[in-house]
Amino acid sequence: MNSIAAEPAVTARRLPGDLAIWFFILAEMLAFAVFFAAYAFARASHVEEFNQYQQTLDLNAGALNTVLLITGSWFVALAVQAAHRDEQADISRNLLLGWLCGAGFLVVKCFEYAGKFGAGITLSTNTFYMFYISLTFFHFMHVILGMVILTVLWKQSRKGVYGRYDANGLESGAAYWHMVDLLWIVLFPLVYVMR
Amino acid sequence: MVFLKNPINRAWLVLMIATAITWYLGEVGAAGTGAIVGMLLIAFVKGRLVILDFMELRQAPRMWRLLLEGWMLLVGSLILLAYWLSLR
Amino acid sequence: MQYKSQAVAKPYFIAAIGLFVGQILFGLILGLQYVIGDFLFPAIPFNVARMVHTNLLIVWLLFGFMGGAYYMIPEESETELFSPKLALAMFWIFLVAGALTIVGYLTVPYAALAEMTGNNLIETMGREFLEQPLPTKLGIVVVALAFLFNITMTVLKGKKTSISLVLLIGLWGLAVFFLFSFYNPVNVVLDKFFWWWTVHLWVEGVWELILGSFLAFVLIKTTGVDREVIEKWLYVIVTLTLITGIIGTGHHYFWIGTPEYWQWWGSIFSALEPIPFFAMTVFAFNMVNRRRREHPNKAAVLWALGTGVMAFLGAGVWGFLHTLAPVNYYTHGTQITAAHGHMAFYGAYAMVNLMMISYAMPLLRGRAANSNKSQVLEMWAFWLMTVAMVFITLFLTAAGILQVWLQRASDAPLPFMVAQDKIALFYWMREWAGVFFLIGLVIYIVSFFVGGEEKQAV
Repeated sequence: MNSIAAEPAVTARRLPGDLAIWFFILAEMLAFAVFFAAYAFARASHVEEFNQYQQTLDLNAGALNTVLLITGSWFVALAVQAAHRDEQADISRNLLLGWLCGAGFLVVKCFEYAGKFGAGITLSTNTFYMFYISLTFFHFMHVILGMVILTVLWKQSRKGVYGRYDANGLESGAAYWHMVDLLWIVLFPLVYVMR
Repeated sequence: MVFLKNPINRAWLVLMIATAITWYLGEVGAAGTGAIVGMLLIAFVKGRLVILDFMELRQAPRMWRLLLEGWMLLVGSLILLAYWLSLR
Repeated sequence: MQYKSQAVAKPYFIAAIGLFVGQILFGLILGLQYVIGDFLFPAIPFNVARMVHTNLLIVWLLFGFMGGAYYMIPEESETELFSPKLALAMFWIFLVAGALTIVGYLTVPYAALAEMTGNNLIETMGREFLEQPLPTKLGIVVVALAFLFNITMTVLKGKKTSISLVLLIGLWGLAVFFLFSFYNPVNVVLDKFFWWWTVHLWVEGVWELILGSFLAFVLIKTTGVDREVIEKWLYVIVTLTLITGIIGTGHHYFWIGTPEYWQWWGSIFSALEPIPFFAMTVFAFNMVNRRRREHPNKAAVLWALGTGVMAFLGAGVWGFLHTLAPVNYYTHGTQITAAHGHMAFYGAYAMVNLMMISYAMPLLRGRAANSNKSQVLEMWAFWLMTVAMVFITLFLTAAGILQVWLQRASDAPLPFMVAQDKIALFYWMREWAGVFFLIGLVIYIVSFFVGGEEKQAV
């Protein structure tokens, strides 16, 4: 009888992580929404320019980065699952793997930037490149912030802070990392592919 | 397969396939209304998987799930609107 | 009051209110000069009245910030102030320097003042809001450094809380960005570019951190909500503020000769600047709703809620109105800007200082809260000043819209002064709203002298 009475409490709808981080995530997503819309509407008045210069972007690098971010997100989601099962070693390992995916993203992006900046492209070259650099760089900063958060989570997890009864911090950080992934899922087709 | 029993793993697999499709569409230079709508749909499916499975919002209070899915819809439709304007 | 040295805040608060009165009086003079051009001419020309009005604002807000910090930091750090003597000495230096500067503005022609005070050594004068003569600017730096030294040492020797950390970042930022007032390149584009590093990064950057930490402090004290919860929100607000505020500087770089991408960067990020203000409002109301105790100082709670709402309206909504480049193309430098400036400064910074004073002054005078009678009067003052400011803002907005239409958007644009004549009615209404604001301020001051049964200190 007791177990039945306890059931609703376990399956009750619950927001993973902290309310404050979700508020923050929404604010960040609003920022990107405005930026994405600005790109799309600016493109509407510079269609030829956008189509022409979009082809100079490295599609393979963009796709590779998508794979890296999604996989990184996957590892971090596995870390949260591990916390719910109380498997300490798995939490740290998956967080580390997620972090490495983020690092891989940064490396690929740096090569991409090196190519573009090496060709003398700046924010003032044209509207397309302005958006390309602004959007990807703004996202780049978010990847870095996400990795800082993952570093903190990893350190904490090594101390055994997270477990079945308290995964609040881990879930909050994970939610932010997934947001970074989510943003790229829109950014990649929008800037690299859609024409 | 044990691997596919975990919804997170299934989500990852679908996300990988979807990314490959988007990449392929880019590689063959797909353009125009069909390609745009297709890519936006793929992005929506991908985003939804991240929201529901990775962020674990499937079990969250409905408002939060709707807020994030609503964001995907909003961004998708704004982009679609802008591209539709450019095609006219 | 838990620590003796908190008492140094008192003279700062009194000076702040005194200068606030001066600011409002000059505001009224200025408002009248909009409609009666030669009012008080040649004794106080328009440009001088404007300079005094804005400079007094900045100085009284700084007095308020310093007083608030001196009150808050010992309590947060759970230790006496590092040096109360230094704090008092700096008070007198700052007050005398400020007074001399205002006297200088009023008695000597500006050009002569510049010559007298060694402007030829480092040319820093003549720029809006940074008109202060070189000795005053150096004085501000000395006072700010001594103040920061005092506060930082106190935090270092005592307990370090998130609220004092945020305050310290805000105050250090304030000092660092003021240094750009000494940098005045010959190139006008660069001049303006860095001028905004002081002006914008103060009010839309580091000052918001000061605002946030003061608000958090008073909310902890008056609501009894867990520090953990309040600090979490403070972090979110601070991060949002810095992201939107710093890049949002770009909304000043639309038309001054800077690269075109600033139109995008400035528009997008500054359009998001209302978010932290919105978060602050939600935060304030949320904490008050979840309060665990009924604090006897109702007036302070009212100011705390008021500053959230008014900052969101004034800085957030009225800022957003004209922050997008295509809109700003028509509105920049019109009365729309004046409307935004008035409500934002009052809602964010005047009100947060008044909140701090409202909370701290009774404690500094040895009681938990003022008598009921005094608080009722203070709340009357709150509503009078706030509603008057809403009307000032609405009238200026109407004036601004009309001005944009007549002077810029219409097919046959009118010259500036002709357009000004046509919107005189709104200037008159604004002036009357200003009179009500002054009445509110007088009632506010009277509330300090009203007796009645006081709430005992706890």
